[in-house]
Amino acid sequence: MTPDELNSAVVTFMANLNIDDSKANETASTVTDSIVHRSIKLLEVVVALKDYFLSENEVERKKALTCLTTILAKTPKDHLSKNECSVIFQFYQSKLDDQALAKEVLEGFAALAPMKYVSINEIAQLLRLLLDNYQQGQHLASTRLWPFKILRKIFDRFFVNGSSTEQVKRINDLFIETFLHVANGEKDPRNLLLSFALNKSITSSLQNVENFKEDLFDVLFCYFPITFKPPKHDPYKISNQDLKTALRSAITATPLFAEDAYSNLLDKLTASSPVVKNDTLLTLLECVRKFGGSSILENWTLLWNALKFEIMQNSEGNENTLLNPYNKDQQSDDVGQYTNYDACLKIINLMALQLYNFDKVSFEKFFTHVLDELKPNFKYEKDLKQTCQILSAIGSGNVEIFNKVISSTFPLFLINTSEVAKLKLLIMNFSFFVDSYIDLFGRTSKESLGTPVPNNKMAEYKDEIIMILSMALTRSSKAEVTIRTLSVIQFTKMIKMKGFLTPEEVSLIIQYFTEEILTDNNKNIYYACLEGLKTISEIYEDLVFEISLKKLLDLLPDCFEEKIRVNDEENIHIETILKIILDFTTSRHILVKESITFLATKLNRVAKISKSREYCFLLISTIYSLFNNNNQNENVLNEEDALALKNAIEPKLFEIITQESAIVSDNYNLTLLSNVLFFTNLKIPQAAHQEELDRYNELFISEGKIRILDTPNVLAISYAKILSALNKNCQFPQKFTVLFGTVQLLKKHAPRMTETEKLGYLELLLVLSNKFVSEKDVIGLFDWKDLSVINLEVMVWLTKGLIMQNSLESSEIAKKFIDLLSNEEIGSLVSKLFEVFVMDISSLKKFKGISWNNNVKILYKQKFFGDIFQTLVSNYKNTVDMTIKCNYLTALSLVLKHTPSQSVGPFINDLFPLLLQALDMPDPEVRVSALETLKDTTDKHHTLITEHVSTIVPLLLSLSLPHKYNSVSVRLIALQLLEMITTVVPLNYCLSYQDDVLSALIPVLSDKKRIIRKQCVDTRQVYYELGQIPFE
Amino acid sequence: MSEFLNENPDILEENQLPTRKEDSTKDLLLGGFSNEATLERRSLLLKIDHSLKSQVLQDIEVLDKLLSIRIPPELTSDEDSLPAESEDESVAGGGKEEEEPDLIDAQEIYDLIAHISDPEHPLSLGQLSVVNLEDIDVHDSGNQNEMAEVVIKITPTITHCSLATLIGLGIRVRLERSLPPRFRITILLKKGTHDSENQVNKQLNDKERVAAACENEQLLGVVSKMLVTCK
Repeated sequence: MTPDELNSAVVTFMANLNIDDSKANETASTVTDSIVHRSIKLLEVVVALKDYFLSENEVERKKALTCLTTILAKTPKDHLSKNECSVIFQFYQSKLDDQALAKEVLEGFAALAPMKYVSINEIAQLLRLLLDNYQQGQHLASTRLWPFKILRKIFDRFFVNGSSTEQVKRINDLFIETFLHVANGEKDPRNLLLSFALNKSITSSLQNVENFKEDLFDVLFCYFPITFKPPKHDPYKISNQDLKTALRSAITATPLFAEDAYSNLLDKLTASSPVVKNDTLLTLLECVRKFGGSSILENWTLLWNALKFEIMQNSEGNENTLLNPYNKDQQSDDVGQYTNYDACLKIINLMALQLYNFDKVSFEKFFTHVLDELKPNFKYEKDLKQTCQILSAIGSGNVEIFNKVISSTFPLFLINTSEVAKLKLLIMNFSFFVDSYIDLFGRTSKESLGTPVPNNKMAEYKDEIIMILSMALTRSSKAEVTIRTLSVIQFTKMIKMKGFLTPEEVSLIIQYFTEEILTDNNKNIYYACLEGLKTISEIYEDLVFEISLKKLLDLLPDCFEEKIRVNDEENIHIETILKIILDFTTSRHILVKESITFLATKLNRVAKISKSREYCFLLISTIYSLFNNNNQNENVLNEEDALALKNAIEPKLFEIITQESAIVSDNYNLTLLSNVLFFTNLKIPQAAHQEELDRYNELFISEGKIRILDTPNVLAISYAKILSALNKNCQFPQKFTVLFGTVQLLKKHAPRMTETEKLGYLELLLVLSNKFVSEKDVIGLFDWKDLSVINLEVMVWLTKGLIMQNSLESSEIAKKFIDLLSNEEIGSLVSKLFEVFVMDISSLKKFKGISWNNNVKILYKQKFFGDIFQTLVSNYKNTVDMTIKCNYLTALSLVLKHTPSQSVGPFINDLFPLLLQALDMPDPEVRVSALETLKDTTDKHHTLITEHVSTIVPLLLSLSLPHKYNSVSVRLIALQLLEMITTVVPLNYCLSYQDDVLSALIPVLSDKKRIIRKQCVDTRQVYYELGQIPFE
Repeated sequence: MSEFLNENPDILEENQLPTRKEDSTKDLLLGGFSNEATLERRSLLLKIDHSLKSQVLQDIEVLDKLLSIRIPPELTSDEDSLPAESEDESVAGGGKEEEEPDLIDAQEIYDLIAHISDPEHPLSLGQLSVVNLEDIDVHDSGNQNEMAEVVIKITPTITHCSLATLIGLGIRVRLERSLPPRFRITILLKKGTHDSENQVNKQLNDKERVAAACENEQLLGVVSKMLVTCK
């Protein structure tokens, strides 16, 4: 770079600074590159800038310095010679007298300080300059930033590893003094973060801090507590929490601060503000953590007294919560944040542990003092909760401390009593020590079983504890719900204590829970025991099976009227046992399998006893629910399990399904049991599906004793369900024969078949149509000229199979059914059959992870609705015959009932008028369906409802009254809608209907059904309250 | 007579207030298609699985629906023709259910007023035992053309409770908004529970006085606040 080029670059930089900073920066980089390649020297830059430095224009002088500093900052640390450093240093020093250039000079020094060949003398001189000549009160925050940066750079260069001790000593004290000078009175949050960090660095790394500790502490603590609130649009994004954390870190950086920190913080602890108190406690917590045992030894008495006061004043959890708005505000930011109460306990915990590790004799003194102060609370039953929490917090420190706490404390309060209030307190307060145990020794898991736990004193009290809890649970009156619930909860908690209970003891607890859950009607007891059994079964599944589930299953009698007794006291209901089984076996591998197997065996016996339909229904429902609830859980029912279950229970099920009237003649039992057969086949290994299909075909079609195609047989439903479960890709050569045969049988025998029999065959058509027979062959069976009821039903169910797979032809076929709606003779029937298209058959659902069992598309309903909606609407508008209009509305309403509401959204503007007219149709089902859709509309389309409120309200009022077509459901939903309207329609609109609604609903208060009266009361109350402002 | 008869009542928890048995079962079942047999099975089912989302329950409903989907074409509604009994049942879907009225009884009255807030404490009248199920009498034949009567005795927490009239007013407003006009409402202080028993009783049952109170916006606002907690 030639002198002319340098001058040109300087001119460019000066022209672009603050205007095009990237250009200026680029220019500076060019100059720096030249310096690095030694084509020019830095001193030549100074010469080139001379005229600007001497300019009368302050702005030009500032720019010139910025130019030099920018170039300097880009220069490698080892490039400048010792002489160059010295000259530049003196240059900047000479500019310090120019107050207008303070920021730029400081910035220059910050760039120069890290240079390798800047001498220690010059650094000392720089520090002296800052100490003597820099007055922070005279400068803006952006200028005050730079002394901190200078200090940071000096620290990083000279006080980090690698610097000579001799050099460090020369500037050590001066550095500290300068820092104290610079930091004094600082308020800017950005600068404060630097200040706090430097303070921490000084106290952690420099020597002779002892002499400055009070000043260093004061320059920190004057900022406590932080009350900073970030301004809007803050470019630096510094948060209140950032400052708190940095300050806390600095205060706790050296034990030298301990005495001052503790005494000052304890003073702050008397603040009334919960936020300040929280900050104080968290800082104290950090002090205890960092300062160590020595300082605690000197301060524990004061700490203990202050913390004790805080804890004892917080006797209620609710109060504690209310006093911690900080916790609420910060909850999302810091999950580990402590409430004030918890922070106190944690501090005590750490105090004890630190003291113990520092000096056991001192710990002994501390603990004795604490115990002596707390003992009277046990005697007089005062503040027991806080007392036990303090002691358990201390005990969480380590095993030795824990043992000491237990040995000292348990004799004071672990005394059995029959006095209810005392027993309640005992159990609640014992809980805290269980928490301590778990903190120290860990939580029980399957992996931890058998792993020994270090010797602990609580084990010595185990028998006593179990005795107390056992008596509380089993000897207390049934009316003492609270105590007995607490006992159950505590037993459950004890299960979680690693290594504490033996399997025999766990077994005893399982037995207690089982007996209580069977004999106690109280919901609290029931759910506590249920939760207990669930928790135990996560770890001791085998024990729960052997002791609890087996007992439950064995209690089930063969005869419904047979009495069930537990402890020779209670008469247990079968329903209770089955409910318990369902509630706690969920997701437990052994429990589910054994329950299904046992219940199927029981069902096989029960079905052979007369008058057992209801009992069979309960058993089948339970088996079905066990399958359904666990079907998608691979940990419970994998392929091997499914096959084993099938082999175990299927013969028993087939025996009763073919012989026992309690099953065959009962619609519910037969259908549900068929669904059970569906589940027994659904998840067996793929390789077995073909074999099973062949076997079932032989049984039901060709050679077996059932042969559903020969004459009407109610077991067609079972065959249909089983086919639903099997792989659609199996070889099924006779599929069309079965389809055709089914159609023929229906047409021939329909008039003499029961509805249940017919339904079984219709569902069989659905399954075959959906997954086995080609679309072409299915359509080939359609006879549109045959308008008999049975043929229409056949075509509807075949079409449903096509619709569910979104087949290409299904849209056209659906439109043909729409055409039939206008037929005066059969239109009404067809409109009702439209519901079949969208009704959910549970065995044709999509199960996660299972793709082989059907050809059902997830969004088939949405597609179907989209296909038919516009046609139905336009047909409706184009006809004048009210009967036919009714058919269109009926079909549409019934389809709506089963269509997800988000599918309806796009059509709502066209649909809405039809909904309103559907409310007048002479069919309660249509009305219910329209009302349900209107409810969804109200929830999602406020504007539409508001626009039509004058039409809707009178309609709803008329639907609230008893009427031939206003079923209970119609009246109920209409009233609910009236109530909903007040939440979506603006108040001034609602007010105009207030009187009308209140008077029109007076007769509804006399409705025969209580549920209608109740809803009417609620709806009227809402209208009474319109515009009413509750008096505060 | 003790001056502090109900001064420190054992505060009842919400789940300890008396409730109607099997209410929840019937209410849950209303949502679906129903006939007598189905209702019976569903009741049985809900005893082992308290959930409307139960797949078993849904399957039963689907089965009932499919079995009944084919019903004879019905006559169009016509003012001049009276529907036959069987049509009535089939159309309404739960004809027999319709014909079984639920008479208004003491529990229903209790449910209406037990959750009214006490004006002084953040608790309900039921929790404070100001209103008790056993102190409610209902005289109702079920005939819509006959007058019916509800008599409620309330128990103030202290004998000189100045809020007795306000509590009584709250109860009266709630019941007048909730009961058919044919019901006469009488609210009385339980004997021996208040220093000004006769005077308060007169106020609580003076129609003109009550009507005047309801026109006082401030007073109505207080009552409104008390009723906010009603379920």
